Amino acid sequence: MSQSKQHKQQAYRLNTGGRIDRSRTLSFTFNGQHYQGHPGDTLASALLANGVDIINRSFKYSRPRGIVAAGAEEPNAIVQLGNSEAAQVPNVRATQQALFNDLTACSTNGWPNVQRDLMGLVGKLGGQFMPPGFYYKTFMAPASMWLTYEKYIRKAAGLGRSPMEADPDSYDHFNQHCDVLVVGAGAAGLAAALAAARSGARVIVADEQEEMGGSLLDSRETLGDKPADQWAARVLEELAGCENVTLLPRTTANGYHDHNFVTLHERRTEHLGDTAPVENGHRQVRSRLHRVRAGQVILATGAHERPLVYAANDVPGNLLAGAVSTYIRRYGVAPGRKLVLSTSNDYGYRAALDWKEAGCDVVAIVDAREAPAGDWVDTARAQGIKIISGSAVIEAKGSSRVSAARVAKIDIDAFQVSGPIQELACDTIASSGGYSPVIHLASHTGARPAWRDDILGFVPGLVKGVQACGGANGTYALGDVLAEGVEAGIRAAAATDHTAQAVSLPSTDYLQQGPAVALFQVPHEKPTLRGPKQFVDLQNDVTAAGIELATREGFESIEHIKRYTAMGFGTDQGKLGNINGMAVAARCLSRSIPEVGTTVFRPNYTPVTFGAIVGRHCRDLFDPARYTALHQWHVERGAEFEDVGQWKRPWYYPQKRAGAANGERESMAEAVARECLAVREKVGILDASTLGKIDIQGPDAREFLARVYTNKWEKLAVGRCRYGLMCKDDGMVTDDGVTSCLADNHFLMTTTTGGAAAILEWLELWHQTEWPELDVYFSSVTDHWATMTITGPEARKLLGEITDIDLDRDSFKFMDWRAGKVAGVPARVFRISFTGELTFEINVQANYAMHVWQTLFKHGETYGLTPYGTETMHVLRAEKGFIIVGQETDGSVTPEDLGMQWAIGYDKPYSWIGKRALTRPDTKRENRKQLVGLRPKDPKVVLEEGAQIVLDPKHAIPMPMVGHVTSSYYSPVLDSGFALAVVKGGHQKLGETVYLPMVDGQTHEAEIVSTIFYDPKGERQNV
Amino acid sequence: MSNAATFDTRTDTAIPVESPLAYSYRHSGAPRAGDSSRLQLRERAMLGHLILRGGAIVLDEAVRDVLGLNLPGQPQALVQDASGERSIQWLSPDEWLVIVPGGEEFPLETKLREHLGSAHFAISDVSGGQTVLELSGEAAQELLMKTVIYDVHPSNFPVGKGVTTIFAKATTIIRRPSEERWELVVRRSFADYCYRWLLDAAAEYGVNVEQ
Repeated sequence: MSQSKQHKQQAYRLNTGGRIDRSRTLSFTFNGQHYQGHPGDTLASALLANGVDIINRSFKYSRPRGIVAAGAEEPNAIVQLGNSEAAQVPNVRATQQALFNDLTACSTNGWPNVQRDLMGLVGKLGGQFMPPGFYYKTFMAPASMWLTYEKYIRKAAGLGRSPMEADPDSYDHFNQHCDVLVVGAGAAGLAAALAAARSGARVIVADEQEEMGGSLLDSRETLGDKPADQWAARVLEELAGCENVTLLPRTTANGYHDHNFVTLHERRTEHLGDTAPVENGHRQVRSRLHRVRAGQVILATGAHERPLVYAANDVPGNLLAGAVSTYIRRYGVAPGRKLVLSTSNDYGYRAALDWKEAGCDVVAIVDAREAPAGDWVDTARAQGIKIISGSAVIEAKGSSRVSAARVAKIDIDAFQVSGPIQELACDTIASSGGYSPVIHLASHTGARPAWRDDILGFVPGLVKGVQACGGANGTYALGDVLAEGVEAGIRAAAATDHTAQAVSLPSTDYLQQGPAVALFQVPHEKPTLRGPKQFVDLQNDVTAAGIELATREGFESIEHIKRYTAMGFGTDQGKLGNINGMAVAARCLSRSIPEVGTTVFRPNYTPVTFGAIVGRHCRDLFDPARYTALHQWHVERGAEFEDVGQWKRPWYYPQKRAGAANGERESMAEAVARECLAVREKVGILDASTLGKIDIQGPDAREFLARVYTNKWEKLAVGRCRYGLMCKDDGMVTDDGVTSCLADNHFLMTTTTGGAAAILEWLELWHQTEWPELDVYFSSVTDHWATMTITGPEARKLLGEITDIDLDRDSFKFMDWRAGKVAGVPARVFRISFTGELTFEINVQANYAMHVWQTLFKHGETYGLTPYGTETMHVLRAEKGFIIVGQETDGSVTPEDLGMQWAIGYDKPYSWIGKRALTRPDTKRENRKQLVGLRPKDPKVVLEEGAQIVLDPKHAIPMPMVGHVTSSYYSPVLDSGFALAVVKGGHQKLGETVYLPMVDGQTHEAEIVSTIFYDPKGERQNV
Repeated sequence: MSNAATFDTRTDTAIPVESPLAYSYRHSGAPRAGDSSRLQLRERAMLGHLILRGGAIVLDEAVRDVLGLNLPGQPQALVQDASGERSIQWLSPDEWLVIVPGGEEFPLETKLREHLGSAHFAISDVSGGQTVLELSGEAAQELLMKTVIYDVHPSNFPVGKGVTTIFAKATTIIRRPSEERWELVVRRSFADYCYRWLLDAAAEYGVNVEQ
C-alpha cells in the first residue's frame, strides 16, 4: 500500500453497511494528496477508506504512525486543519473531525514530510540514545544553550502550529443552568437522560461525537429485538421534543470544576467548513464554551479499550479491536484485508466477527486465555475462525504497514514466552486488553479513582452531586448499562426535587461471557530492555522499556515515573496508555496496580481552541472601557488617552506644531508644558467626571464621615466643602477627596477615580458590620454627574459669562459650593482646587454635559481656554505638593508620613478608622519614610520615578537606601525638574543633599525641599 | 421634610441632551438587519431613575400613596403600573430602583420626601448615570445567556423579576417587564462597552437597533 502511487478510490470502503451516505461524495486533501469520502465519515474513516496508512511521525523517535482508535482516545492521528492561514487549527484528532467538502489537513509531525522523514534517521540511529529523561540529561548544560536546543527540539517534535493571521470567526461563552447534566449520549447516558427528562427536570445532554448514540451506533446487539441504534434514535427523538431538554451534539465536556461547574466545548460549525458559515447574511458562531452550573451531574462517558503492549505495536495497521468494529459497522470501512486479533477477553471477539461479516479474512484469533468460553467465542468457532489459545501476538512485523504477526504461547504469571513462535502473515493486528472506564472528568474534581479487580480497571471517585453509570462505572453488559442509566437519572431528578416517571427498558440479549485475563504488557522472547520497542504511550513515545528503566533509576511514585518518561502528558492525558503504564511499573516494582496507583487527569479532556476559551473577551471587548459623557469631544480634539482603572481619561491634547507643514503634532512634553502654562496664566479645563461620587444621607451622616475620615466634620456648614483623608484600620492612607455639606443630613463625598467602587463597599462594610446604629445611607452617583473643572486666573470671568451664580470672591469663597445654572443647565459649582489656581468645578447631570462643555468653549476663546489632561493635572498638583493616593502612597504611608498632621483629629469624641493604629510605636517612629520635595541640583534633570535615594553615593554596595522618588516632572513655571519623594526621617532633613544613583552609572544630586514648589502661601486659589 | 438637599437637575429649555449611547451610535453605528433580524435592541433613554433606601414598611406606605404602586417586598421582584411606564425594583433589603418617565423624578422625589417626613430614608437621583437597554425578539434569551451569568431560563426568570448580576466583565441590573421584553439597566460609563458587546454577541442573529 505505497502512498506515492495514485490511489484506487476508497479501496477499503465496504459496499454496504455503516452510517455514511454513499450517494454523495466529498473531496478532501491530506498532506497535499486529494481523496474522497462520504457524508458521515470522519477524517480518520475517510483516510482508512483510501488506504492511507501513515498519518504522522512519532513525537520522539519519528516512527511512522497510523490510526489506532476511532474516538477521543486516538493518540497518533493528530492533524493540522485549515485551507488558509487564518483558518489553521492545530491538534485536531482525525477520529473526531467530521469530513466536509474541501477539508484540508496535514500531519502535525514529520519534518520535512511524513513519508520521508529526516528525523526518522534520528529515530533509527538515535533511538537508543534517547532514553527517558533524555532532555533532562542531555540538554541540562550549559543552561545558555537551552534556547538553541529548544528551537530544534520543538521543530522536530512539531505539535501543530497556531495561525499567523487573525481568526475570522467568533466564539461565545454560554451560561447554562440545569438540574441534570448528562455527559455522554451512549446507552447509559440516553437512559439516564430519558429518566431525568420525564421527571420534568431541566436536562442538558452533551456528547462529543458527530452523532449521539455512542456504542449503540455500531453495536452487534439488539434492543427490543431491533438493532440497538433504532432504540437510540427513538430516545433521541423523544428528548428532542422535550422543552426541558437541551441536546448538545459535538460537545465535549472538557473540564469538571468545583461545585458541579462543568465546561462544555461545543463545536457548532467545525463539521461544516474551515470557517463558520453565513446564514441569512449573518456569520454564525464557530464554537461555544458552555459554562454549565448543574444541580446533578451524570457521567456516562463510557470506557476506552486498552491495547495490548507488544513489540512494534505502533506500526501502522495495529488497531484497537473495538475501533476495527466501529470502522466497519459505523463508517463502512475495513481498515485492512487480513486480520489477526490478539485479545484477553470476550469483547475483543467482536472485531473478528465484524471483520468476517465484512467479507475480509480473519487469519486467527489469538486469545491469552487457556480455555476461552462464551457466546462470541462459540460464534467465532462456529464460523470456522481459527482460535489460538493461551497465546498472544508478541510482535508485529512490517515497517510502514503490518506485514505479519509473531504469535507465541505465553506464561502471564512468569512474564515469559513459553512456546514456539509462529509468524502469521496479515496486514492488520487488532488487540484488546479489556476496557478502562473513562474517569477523566471525575478525576478533575480531585476525587481519587478506585481499582476494581473484577473489571481490571479504575472506577471514578465521586464528589457530591455526581454519579457515574455504564461503562464509566465499569458496567459493560448492555442490559445492566441501561438499568444503571435509568437509576442514575431517577436519582438525579429526585435530588433536584423532581418526581420520577416510569421508564420501561427494552429487552436485551443476555450475552454469556467468559472471564477476562489480566494482560497488559505481553512478554517477548527478549527482555523488555533489549527487545524491540513495546509502546505504552504512543503519543509521547513512551515504551515499556522506558518505564522499566525509570523504575531501575529509582523512580517509584507513578507521578514521578509519569514526569520522567512523559507518559500521559499533553493533549493525550493518558487515555490509552496510563493503565498499561501503571501495570508495567507495577510489574517492575513487584507491586499491584492499586498499590502503584494512578496519576491525576487534568482538564482539558481533549484540546479546546483558544477561541472558545477566550469567547468574546478579546480585541476591543477584552476589558470594559469606561467613557465620560464628553468622550466624543476628547476624541475629536485628538486627545491621547490614559487608562485609569477602566476609565479612558484624556492624558494630554497634542496640537499641530505651529508652522509644521506635514501636520506633525506636539510631543507629550510640549503639549503638557503648554497646558500647564495655560492654567497658570489663563484658564484650563479638565474633564473630572471620573472622580468617584457618593451621595450620603441620614441624620448620622456627619458622624459617620468623622469615623471614616481622619479629620473633623462636626463644624462643616451647609454650603461648605472640606478635604478628607481616609485610612484603613492599619492607619495607612487609602483614599482622599473633597466632601461637601449639601444639607445638615446630606453630604456628597468624592473619592479617587480608581477607588470609587472599593470605597463605597468600604463604607457599606463598616456601616453594616460595625456601626449599624448609625442612621445613614450611601448611593453611588459617580455616573450621574459630569464634572468640568475650570481653573486659572481667568476662570471667574469665563464662568461669569454663562452662570447666574454670584461669583463674587467674598460671597462664593474658596471651599464653598453653590447651586445655580451654568449654560442654562442646573449645576452645582464647587470652589475647590487641585491646581492651586482659582477653580470652579461645575457638576451637571451627565446628559447635559456636552452642551455645557461646548458652551464653555464658545465663551472661552477670549480667555484662552485650554483643555488639559491627566498629565498636566499631575504636574500642577505636584507643584502644589498635593498627593495622589496610590502614587505618593503605597499602603504603608500614614497621614503623618505625608506631613498632614493638620488632617488628623486625635481629639474627636469617638474613635475613627485608623486612630488606634496611628498610635502604635511603629507608626510613631521618627525614622519613617516621610514625604518631601526634591529639587535636582541640575534643573534640566527630571528624576526617574521610583529612583532610590541614598545619603552617601560613595558607600560600598549595597548602599543603604533611604527612600525613593514618588512623582517627578518638569515644571514649566519653575523651568526645572522637581519631584516628590519619601525619605527616612525626611521631615527633619530639609536643605540636605541626597543622591540618586541610576542604572546608567550617573548619580543625580538633589536637595530636600518643601513639598510646595509653587505659590507656597496658597494665594492664587483664594483670589 | 428630611434635612436633605434636593436639586432638580433637569431644565425645561430646549437644551440639547446626549444619552449614554450617543457616542456609541456615532462610533459603532446602529445596525438594521431588517427582516432577518431575530433581535431588537432599543435604548430607553432619558428616563427618571431614583434610588430609594430605607425601611420597607415606611417606604411602602409612601410609594403606595404617591406612586400608586406597592413596594416589592420580595427579593428580586419588579412591580410596574398598568402602563408599564413606572416601576419599582427590589435591589437589596433596604434598596429599590424606581424608574419613571423622564422629568417625573424630581416631583416624585419631592412628594416622597414630604410624605416620609422625619423617617430615616434616602433618595438619590441617578437619572444621568444609567440607561435602559431593551431587548426583544426570539433570540433575546440566548443573547442574555452569552452575556449574563444569572439563569435567565423562564422557569427561573419569570416576568416581574429583576436581579443585579454580571454583564460580561461589567455589572448590570436585568429585568423582565413582559414575556417579550427584557431590560438591562447599565451604568452610563459602561454603556458603550455593553452596547458593543450586545452588537457583537447578537451578530449571528441579525440585530435591529431602534434609535
